[in-house]
Amino acid sequence: MATFTATPITRADITGESAWWCSGCGDFGVNAAVQQVIMGLVNELGVPLENIFALSGIGCSSKEPEMLRVNAYQGQHGRSLPVAIGVAIANPGLKVIDFGGDGDTYAIGMEHFMHSIIRNVDVTLVIMNNQVYGLTKGQASPTAHTGLRTPSTPSGKRGRNVNPLRLAIAAGAAFVGRGVSWQRNELVELMMKAINTKGFSLVDVFSPCVTYHREPNARGSGPIYDWYRQNYVLDIKDAWQQMRDQVFTEDERAQLPADYDPTSPEAALNGLRLISEAAKIGREVTGLLLIDESQPTMAENAGVSAERAPALLDISLGANLDNYRQMLAELR
Amino acid sequence: MTTIQIYGAGRAGDGTNTNIAILAQALKDAGAWTFRWLDEVYSNIQTRDSGFAVRAADRPIYGPDDEFDILQAFDEGAFIDIAGEGRIPPITRLKRGGIVIYDSSPRLEAVNAGHEIDLAKIQGILEEKRARVFGLPMGRLAKEECGNYIVRGTISVGVIAHMIGIPEEAILDRFAKNFGAGSPVYEMNAKALRMGIEHARNEGWEAPELRVSFTPLAEDTRQVLLGDEAVAAGAIVAGCRVYAGYPITPASEVLEFMAEKIGQFGGALIQADSEMAAAHHVIGAAVAGARSMTATAGPGFSLMQEAISAAGITETPMVIVICTRGGPATGLPTRQGQEELNEAVFGGHGDFARIVLAASEPSQCFYVMERVFNLAERYQCPVFLLIDRMLAQSSYTVPELDPSRFVIDRGKLLTAEQVAERYLNNGHRYQRYELTEDGISYRVIPGTPGITNYYSNTNEHTEDGYITEEEVVRQRQMDKRFTKRMELIRADKDLPEAVQHGSPEARIGFIGYGGVYGPILEAVERLESQGTKAKFLEMRTLWPFPGDRVREFVDSCDVVYVTEYSAGAQLRGLVQREATGPSPKLRSLLRYDGRIMTPGWILEKMKEA
Repeated sequence: MATFTATPITRADITGESAWWCSGCGDFGVNAAVQQVIMGLVNELGVPLENIFALSGIGCSSKEPEMLRVNAYQGQHGRSLPVAIGVAIANPGLKVIDFGGDGDTYAIGMEHFMHSIIRNVDVTLVIMNNQVYGLTKGQASPTAHTGLRTPSTPSGKRGRNVNPLRLAIAAGAAFVGRGVSWQRNELVELMMKAINTKGFSLVDVFSPCVTYHREPNARGSGPIYDWYRQNYVLDIKDAWQQMRDQVFTEDERAQLPADYDPTSPEAALNGLRLISEAAKIGREVTGLLLIDESQPTMAENAGVSAERAPALLDISLGANLDNYRQMLAELR
Repeated sequence: MTTIQIYGAGRAGDGTNTNIAILAQALKDAGAWTFRWLDEVYSNIQTRDSGFAVRAADRPIYGPDDEFDILQAFDEGAFIDIAGEGRIPPITRLKRGGIVIYDSSPRLEAVNAGHEIDLAKIQGILEEKRARVFGLPMGRLAKEECGNYIVRGTISVGVIAHMIGIPEEAILDRFAKNFGAGSPVYEMNAKALRMGIEHARNEGWEAPELRVSFTPLAEDTRQVLLGDEAVAAGAIVAGCRVYAGYPITPASEVLEFMAEKIGQFGGALIQADSEMAAAHHVIGAAVAGARSMTATAGPGFSLMQEAISAAGITETPMVIVICTRGGPATGLPTRQGQEELNEAVFGGHGDFARIVLAASEPSQCFYVMERVFNLAERYQCPVFLLIDRMLAQSSYTVPELDPSRFVIDRGKLLTAEQVAERYLNNGHRYQRYELTEDGISYRVIPGTPGITNYYSNTNEHTEDGYITEEEVVRQRQMDKRFTKRMELIRADKDLPEAVQHGSPEARIGFIGYGGVYGPILEAVERLESQGTKAKFLEMRTLWPFPGDRVREFVDSCDVVYVTEYSAGAQLRGLVQREATGPSPKLRSLLRYDGRIMTPGWILEKMKEA
């Protein structure tokens, strides 16, 4: 499609409002990476900027489309994914990127999260995961780790946290990865791969809340990042090296490649095993866990495509009248 | 009017619906206008009492008569309240001197076992009705002679066809269309049919007063369809190309019709995971530029409330067909009700523009979809169409539907050429919520060259679509999309006007919408034939409420019966709120037992009101 937007675009071309986040918020890092990704899509891959469609729900992270200047829909709490499905099916030619938070998507939006994956809708979901509901001042979210003290868990959170990677792998996502907001290059690479993967892509990003996520002796901007780095994250590649003895039998180990391979047919099972093993020591894995483009997308199953987009059809009477008459003739 | 009404009573899973449907099709082929309805259907797949009925007449009809001429009975549920829960068995609605055709053999298969008809047990009611009773061991004949128990209903169809004078060929024609001529199913049914006809002939079972004398049409282009099918077909002709829906009675037939047809027109069907999801799929597809819709019932519409608020503030054309049923909550899932009016008119939080329309019969269901979609795009707001369970799931004969009457008006949706002319070539900046003169901003289809700020927002927003909480902007946006928009809508000539029926000079009036249409029309006729003039204001637009029109109607009457399927008198509430205030002229005729009104029910209720 012809575009009137001059390329190459610059960051200024796709910058919307000035950011509304607290100083030091992880979301700044995510936003910078997102803008870089959009520039890459347009400038390097030739995607018309007009064809990028962003969505979000409610929460600090859902301010993201406002930080951009692209076609967008800023929706209600938990409901951006079903809107994204409507967009992606009505016009499969659009690159649909949905932004959300851990409360938005893994609590109130969980129904849509699971079914979007199972449908394999061609949407990239970027979650800014910070374990708390920031915009309502810090209550525990579904990803809050056991023991986390927040205004809604004053004696420490009891029970398990949602592990979105595990759910996404189990439900058959085409792409499952997790980035961290403070490593921009890796995050850019992860999101680029996710967007260019056919089918549903989850990019969960640890994006610390510097205001409400409080760990013992780790308050404020710097220390909470240190806490994540030192106490919480574990790269999938490192997990592969460190945990293979615990996770795999001797026979299995003999067959294993040297490095973790997200494209191997065993990636789903290996990923799940490493996630579980890491959880035993209170760690969450990061990195690219899985790419599997073997499944048809929702649009393919629905019989629509960029070339045959329902939103772009000629719905004038003249073009369809004979077929309408035929349809009605069957109702006699 | 020549009219005949036939009732089939059995147990869910017996195939009674199929038998009645075949009779309806044959009657229509004979030239009759038919109304076929699911009279008694429990929210259950097998074993509960079930009743299906057809009425045929020599002119279009839009509802049942009070009593039926023929009762086809498979078990004693037709005559007695087996469960003892207060069910009123269908025999009570048999005309005095009417015909009962029953299966005199025992239940021969495990499904639906028991409840055989014991004449001794029901002698009282049969005598009271002076019923003419014809017993035939249909079950045994079907099993032993035709090789399948299920065709015992076809044997009774044969008996009925003989008695009312439907030729064998007419029914065989329908079997051929339904099952394929010569197929094993066809042959089995043909055999059963002939067996019934032969038996009735040999036994001399005749009903000369019921012999139908309809005139077949040389070329019969009339339609036979459900309200749900009419809505779905109308939506497709109106250009609906994304349908999202969750199965729910009585809206599932919309989903099923779309599932079969929308793909043939390049559209997509999304069977949603919930009504919450469905409504948001509709928003997404509409934002992307497709005409899209969903259909649901009361419980599903409740789940859609947050989405309709979202459509309101984002100014997204959203179409929802609400197929109403008895509530609240699960309520009476398979029964008639009109309890969703308030939710359609007042539902969703916040103030936003909306339109609520109604339809009375399938032709209206079909043609109104043109307006529904045009209004939704013209005013960029949610539009709801209310049809009730009677209309949604009953089958009507209506005149041929003409798709060429549709005009597609997409309102301020710009083509790429218009975008270039309006914005790109003169440096004018596009804004999704631009404050134009009439307050309606321009939409584009995302992907249109040159537009990269098509920004819809459920937060209060600036003209650019970005979040704001500033008081001046907030007020302007609210006035633009709500206050001013409703003024524009109110003046729109495309809002279907209320239609007045009966004698203009009458001082007795009825007001109603949807499934009261046929019953009130006939009640008015009966009143007039008894020398009492009456009239009926058929409501087609419920929001914005045509207060002036209704006030004028009420002013012209001494008494007005607001007739509806709601214990809460929701329509009367609107009439009072928007037209008359509390008025001594207003009376309520309310039916909320889940059953369809009949003309006689209305006349009877008037005495108490």
